[in-house]
Amino acid sequence: MDDADFLNLIKRHGHGTWSQPAAGAAAEHLPAQAEGTTILAVRYQSGVMVAGDRRATTGNVVVHDRADKVLCIDDAVVMALSGSPAMAVEIGRLLEMTFQHYRRSQLQPLSLDGKLRVLSRLIRENLTMAMQGIGAVVPILAAYDDAADAGRIYFYDLLGAQFESVDFCTTGSGAHIIRGALYYLDRWGPVPLASMDEVAALELVGRMLETAARYDTATGGFLPAAGVYPQVMRLDAGGITRISEDRLERIYRTRLQQA
Amino acid sequence: MLAEPHRWVEAIRQRRAYIEDQLKDVSPVIGLPYTDGLLLVTTTPGPRKIFEVYDQLALAGVGHPADMEKVRRAAIDIAHVEAYNLSSADVTAYRLVASGIGPLMKTAFDEVVRSPFIARLMVAELGGVDDAPAFYTVEADGSFAPAERVAVVGGEAAAVNACREYVERRAASGSWSLDEAIQAALHAWGCGWLAAQGEIDPGEQRIISCLGRSLETARVEAVVLDRTLATTTKFRLLGGDELDRVTRRYTGGER
Repeated sequence: MDDADFLNLIKRHGHGTWSQPAAGAAAEHLPAQAEGTTILAVRYQSGVMVAGDRRATTGNVVVHDRADKVLCIDDAVVMALSGSPAMAVEIGRLLEMTFQHYRRSQLQPLSLDGKLRVLSRLIRENLTMAMQGIGAVVPILAAYDDAADAGRIYFYDLLGAQFESVDFCTTGSGAHIIRGALYYLDRWGPVPLASMDEVAALELVGRMLETAARYDTATGGFLPAAGVYPQVMRLDAGGITRISEDRLERIYRTRLQQA
Repeated sequence: MLAEPHRWVEAIRQRRAYIEDQLKDVSPVIGLPYTDGLLLVTTTPGPRKIFEVYDQLALAGVGHPADMEKVRRAAIDIAHVEAYNLSSADVTAYRLVASGIGPLMKTAFDEVVRSPFIARLMVAELGGVDDAPAFYTVEADGSFAPAERVAVVGGEAAAVNACREYVERRAASGSWSLDEAIQAALHAWGCGWLAAQGEIDPGEQRIISCLGRSLETARVEAVVLDRTLATTTKFRLLGGDELDRVTRRYTGGER
């Protein structure tokens, strides 16, 4: 029954997911796009912590300091995005509507595997544009798997292949800066990352974003003077919680600025 | 034969009578306000009759379950395409009914070589734009009408009117808690059932014993659109416990 499929439905209504770029169009003919970022997801004791900085850049210009890169898709799934923000937001919106449409029309929620598959398809549909250097999106998807009672982190490549990454994952322009640090801490740190408590996990993602911001100009870190804090969301058995700016401010003061 | 106008009129008349006959014995759906939003109540031997269309929209109906399902799926598709293209705020009951469900049912009704939808529907909307009505009712021929506070869709006109009058008479006395509203709706349902048997203005005791008998073979289905819910969707199917609390009175606490 293709009627159950929201993507097919909107195509039938003439709202194809994406318009394809003109033949011969390529990134060098277009102004640089906003795409620098650092996002990361880490498993801890009771779930997953997902964090992203809020800076949007075009070349060396900071376009926006309050971009939302960590999107709550439904009550069990969070998507964090690196890559073209326009495409990423569109994908987030499509995912959200697809899950809702499925739940209402089929009278049962879409399974976690089904949700992962939808995201795969969306990324693959975006491939032509990504190949031409326009609007590539590489998301991290974090979910709480009620059946297994555990947090899950998945990441994707440009072709839409889905990988489950066990304990941590980071993408974006600042990812290479912190990837090694995460590996080091997970292997030789005081405790494996997955055994951290909530406060330690918050401290870790905060420190990682600050580290990425230190060496990657496209990543904004904590900017307390301007009142800008990263976006951090926590997924656990109780659902999704957005960590408040007040709490992030306290974490910054007590555990990042002076530790 | 359908090329002749009077034959067409004849055919339409026949299908009106046919639909009326098919819908004669249905159990009505009653929509009414309560303290935290809107409540929709009906009884059913099995299949569900009240559904979620969007965050603040519910669809309920009587008639053939397969026809109901077709309309339900169409309504959900329309609402979600609209929400994707524009925004959730642009999904409204009026537009869903006037440019979606109404024309869909009218088209099926007019094409006399195809089968019409054997269904009467109600769309409930929580907190519409300005003073939008809470309910719309849609007939099998696609005609629709707003209903400000209380809406009933069902079979025979006498039963439907008895239901509506019962709720309207009592709704004047102020706002109802959820339990009070469920009870009022069930009593209205009983009134309607008795009216279909030719019993007008039955006493409370009569209604209660009628409900006791009816609920032996059918279960109560009830949904709220609750503005106090923290989630974006305000639709909630009431659970067995919540209903038992009220229906115990009629069934002697056995269920």
